[in-house]
Amino acid sequence: MMRPSQIALTTFYWAFIVYLFLPLALMVVMGFKDSNFIGFPINAWTTRWYVQVFQDTAVLHAFGYTLLIAIASTLLSLVIGIWCAVFLGPARFWGRALVFAVMCLPAVIPGVISAISMRIFIRAIGMEPGTGAIILGLTIHNVPFVALMVLSRLGAMPRSQVEAARDLGADSLVAFLRVTLPFLFPSLLGASIFCMLLSFDDFVRAFFLGGYQPTLPVLIFAELRSGMSPAINAISTVVLVVTAALGLWAERGTRRLKGTRR
Amino acid sequence: MHRQSTIARFTDVTKRFGKNVAVDRLDLDITQGEFVTLLGPSGCGKSTTLRMLGGFEMPDEGRILLAGEDVTRLPPNRRDVNMVFQDYALFPHMTVAGNIAFGLELQGHGRAAIDARVSELLELVQLGSFRDRMPDQLSGGQRQRVALARALAREPKLLLLDEPLGALDAKLRGQVQIELKALQQRTGKTFLFVTHDQEEALTMSDRIIVMNAGRIEQDGTPEELYHRPRSRFVADFIGETNLFACQVRGSENGQIVLDWNGILLHAAAGSPDGRTAVEAALRPESIRLTTGRPDQANALQMRIVRRVFKGSRIDLDLEAQDGDARLKASADPAAIEDLAGDKVWASWDPGRLAILQG
Repeated sequence: MMRPSQIALTTFYWAFIVYLFLPLALMVVMGFKDSNFIGFPINAWTTRWYVQVFQDTAVLHAFGYTLLIAIASTLLSLVIGIWCAVFLGPARFWGRALVFAVMCLPAVIPGVISAISMRIFIRAIGMEPGTGAIILGLTIHNVPFVALMVLSRLGAMPRSQVEAARDLGADSLVAFLRVTLPFLFPSLLGASIFCMLLSFDDFVRAFFLGGYQPTLPVLIFAELRSGMSPAINAISTVVLVVTAALGLWAERGTRRLKGTRR
Repeated sequence: MHRQSTIARFTDVTKRFGKNVAVDRLDLDITQGEFVTLLGPSGCGKSTTLRMLGGFEMPDEGRILLAGEDVTRLPPNRRDVNMVFQDYALFPHMTVAGNIAFGLELQGHGRAAIDARVSELLELVQLGSFRDRMPDQLSGGQRQRVALARALAREPKLLLLDEPLGALDAKLRGQVQIELKALQQRTGKTFLFVTHDQEEALTMSDRIIVMNAGRIEQDGTPEELYHRPRSRFVADFIGETNLFACQVRGSENGQIVLDWNGILLHAAAGSPDGRTAVEAALRPESIRLTTGRPDQANALQMRIVRRVFKGSRIDLDLEAQDGDARLKASADPAAIEDLAGDKVWASWDPGRLAILQG
């Protein structure tokens, strides 16, 4: 027999699950409706929206463009994030806590504020809104996540690892490349995928900092304004499936790597 | 000792961590081919001394020479020494062979030469069939041997070992001690070993350097340290000991005569150096127990107040008939089998009674 408190907890849990997944399920279902209007009842089923989406060059271009931006900002974030973590990791200096806080700040500043200030900034330095500006905006947001994940892994690395590499003839660069970096690999994998997901679905920065070419979220937003069609549901479903699969795989992958290779 | 045979030399080396002096004006010579152990309690400066020779700590004062070259300020990768770390520090993403080859690759050898050398080293540490294992697939003892092979790969002038047996269980440790000593003799390498375990030091070393509070307390062979400790610290740190607070009475036939609570004792090791009051140390197992009075200078009639059976030995607490004098003895069970009753004569060789220096 379950106690009342357990029953209450279980009920709330399932209520939350329904609240979480019902909108998503509706979105997926509507993508298969054979009608131009979203809503019940559904009288006929079709996959034509998917065919239409995969033939729509605007959608495909936006997808490719978003992917490019996500990859570029992820790579840039990795370089800067690793650098921050390695700089802060072993260091003990006055004001370390402050430097640490400043590094984490972009993760908690509201996206709108960050995007507007970035827009003003790029104008001030004479840079045009567009691809470069979006990549920079996303990178600033990503770096804290990379740095935090790398820092936590770095904290688990015994000092003797680098010392052994130095002892065996490696200078500090070779020791970093051949011993520290492979040790950090699980956290780098996790951080990359996290950055990809953050960048891929970002709307605010792409909207404020973008030029004429829309990213996928911006394109979807534009299409929503011009009237909903089930094609939007089809695009969204594809994005949902891909990102969820990627996220779950990365979560499992990093956990397994950390488990076996301390 | 001629100059060529000195492989490493510390001259007046001091290392501080903040206000704490870890190593205090250390002078130390290490001879080619020796198995030298730095022994002491934690915080005595033994690991810091080792790490300064490895290049992981820079001395605040003094100089360190390696094969005649001043290496005081050189980074670890530019010194011809290698280290076996306490946690072994194997690279977890490389195979056993990859770990051993790491230092050889950085020396720029060809693939074939590296493979041959790796095989040779795996053979040396008896891990031939473990070549392609990852470190997390090895036992503690196997990891320790990989660490040893990796450190020997570059033919260092000196091998540094930082408590490498600490993580092994007691039974395995005894076996590894013997293997390690045999390996050192076979390769003819100079080993500088750090431990806080006195038994480990006595088992393996040609020479033991006992450190305390950043200074050398005593430097000698295991036998010298054990039977002729120079200080109370050394006598206490290594094994059990009886300490006698004595007055110096004079000398007789080259032996020093001491007065211990009215009992006259003869000592043949150490010197009072003009002091009138000294401390002398005696190992429990140096005491012989007999029923009849032995023909010996140091002989006391005593009573056995307690026997503790330790398996291969029996520890005994002795007390003099008339009062305060107490001794700890340790005897082979067979040797005291025919002692009748509690009254015994305790006697020892004057050479076993060591006068401590302050």
